[in-house]
Amino acid sequence: MFGIAIGIFAFTVMGSMSLKLNKMISGGKRYITGQISIMPKGSSYGMAGGSVLPIDTLNKIAKVEGVESVAAGVELLMEDIDPDDPSSAMSFGIPPTIEGMDLESNFKNKNWETMNMREGRMIEKNDPDDKIAVGITIATENNLKVSDKFTIRGKEFEVIGIIDRTMTGPDSYIMMSANPAREMLVESNPFLKSLKERSDEAAKISDSALAMMPEETKKQISEAKAFKLEDVNTMASASWKDGENSEEVANRIKEQFKDEVMVLSPEKMGEMIDKGTLVFNAIVLGSALIALIVGGFSIINTMIMSISERTKEIGIKKSLGASNKSIMLEYTFEAGVIGLIGGLLGIGLGLITIILINSKTSANGAEIFLIDRNYLIGIIIFSFVLGILAGIIPAYRASRLKIVDAIREL
Amino acid sequence: METDNTIIKAENIKKSYKMSKRNTVQALQGVSLDIKKGDFTAIIGPSGCGKSTLMHIIGILDKADSGKLEIDGVNINRIKDKEAHKIRAKKIGFIFQGFNLIPTLTAIENIMLAGKYGGLNTSARKERAMELMGMVGLAERANHRPNELSGGQQQRIALARALMNNPAIILADEPTGELDTDTSKDIINLLKKLNKDNNQTFLIVTHNTDVAQSCKKIIRLKDGRNDG
Repeated sequence: MFGIAIGIFAFTVMGSMSLKLNKMISGGKRYITGQISIMPKGSSYGMAGGSVLPIDTLNKIAKVEGVESVAAGVELLMEDIDPDDPSSAMSFGIPPTIEGMDLESNFKNKNWETMNMREGRMIEKNDPDDKIAVGITIATENNLKVSDKFTIRGKEFEVIGIIDRTMTGPDSYIMMSANPAREMLVESNPFLKSLKERSDEAAKISDSALAMMPEETKKQISEAKAFKLEDVNTMASASWKDGENSEEVANRIKEQFKDEVMVLSPEKMGEMIDKGTLVFNAIVLGSALIALIVGGFSIINTMIMSISERTKEIGIKKSLGASNKSIMLEYTFEAGVIGLIGGLLGIGLGLITIILINSKTSANGAEIFLIDRNYLIGIIIFSFVLGILAGIIPAYRASRLKIVDAIREL
Repeated sequence: METDNTIIKAENIKKSYKMSKRNTVQALQGVSLDIKKGDFTAIIGPSGCGKSTLMHIIGILDKADSGKLEIDGVNINRIKDKEAHKIRAKKIGFIFQGFNLIPTLTAIENIMLAGKYGGLNTSARKERAMELMGMVGLAERANHRPNELSGGQQQRIALARALMNNPAIILADEPTGELDTDTSKDIINLLKKLNKDNNQTFLIVTHNTDVAQSCKKIIRLKDGRNDG
């Protein structure tokens, strides 16, 4: 029974982890396949890699044939990674993230037009810069309600909406307009910060003073002045016009701007995600399956032991008139019940583990496991069936025991 | 074959056991017997004479190599293995030397188990089991497990279990083998009473001369054959 309990425990825990990840990934996939994602050349998806997308480039992309609209975006972590504790950067789920949104743009994700709100509303065009909408994980962990003040990176914001649970990225997002996010990104990035400082210094130099400077200096100052805050975009999203093929539009952008941006087409991203999910699921469920096979053998072993210990009992039952069939059914059912009890025990232990780990990790921004009722019911049925399957051979052997030999057993 | 009033008719029953490639033991070498309804018969003989083997064959717990066997009008030679359990359940009741109660079940559950295989429904089983527990004088011990009962009490429960399906015959293999003298007498008296009151047929394998003396009929075996 303990063997199957351990197998089912592993199945519960690993399956719930896989479910959570799949849910997260499928949410992410839905979002990412609803738009053409554009990133600065040389960055990795999702996080600011130091390079930015100048607004001029984005404006040009918006004019590419088939593009409906382009929205600039700024993404950065809610808190910088503590250099003394880099492990804080290791997170199973999505860490609390600031999403600076281009509220002026008409861009809409094709698969995810609006967010369901638990409370309040999403930030919109013309909202002041200090208004934010937060994901449910952020709201829960920081105990936020609508109209609460929330300080992020030293700046105070007012919560105007809490997004309903999505089980994916947005749960850990803080949605704000692009500008405050840009300012925070500049502040956190030494390179951007120095550019901005130089730009601010350069701005102080009057045109008349500039005219008197040597050519080389003039050039440097003009370059420094060229830095604009609205150029600080870590990513952009493009939508395509109705009737256009997303892949073709993405390819057009790719061809025209291949030296400046990286374009991720919805289809390619979908395939990439599917591949990643498949490998992950194979690993997780594969290891759970091994645990389960071990559990299955342990039931077979338990049943063989149990039956050999009860040989005499079987002999007595047969001498009282039990048919081979009824012995077979009785002991197979018993194995099923052992499987079921082991399964319930395993699920119980699994749930306790899941709840404990989830309560610990949710404080760090991500719940690792998803508890799904249907999955658990499936496991219970499965453990019963597994018990029955494992019990068939020992039960068959029990039914074939010779009565006289069985009764003579001590 | 005469079936009138005959419950067990065995003719020239032979049985051998192969112990190894070269060693075969001839347990029964042609035993015949005729038991009538209401008989109270003892089978006696020295150890190894084939008493228990004969009992197992009559109880369809084992198969004879050759010979004819008829129980309550049913030709056992002709029944298939698949049907043997029905005969065991309905026509034969067993009492063993070591009681053979299932230790995890209570007294009443042990008795009811026989009813389950005899095809009785749960309420009928319970009613009959309670009646039998009263008959053997242990109604108040219904919910005790075998290890909470004395040897004599356990054998009474085993007797009640044997009677559960109103069998044509009760086969008792050394029923007093593990009991002291007084308790043995009690058990034999109970069997005799059932024989007298209900005309229940008993076939008892025993070493005990007192038990054999109290039987109406004695069948002696020696070296796997009828002795006299």
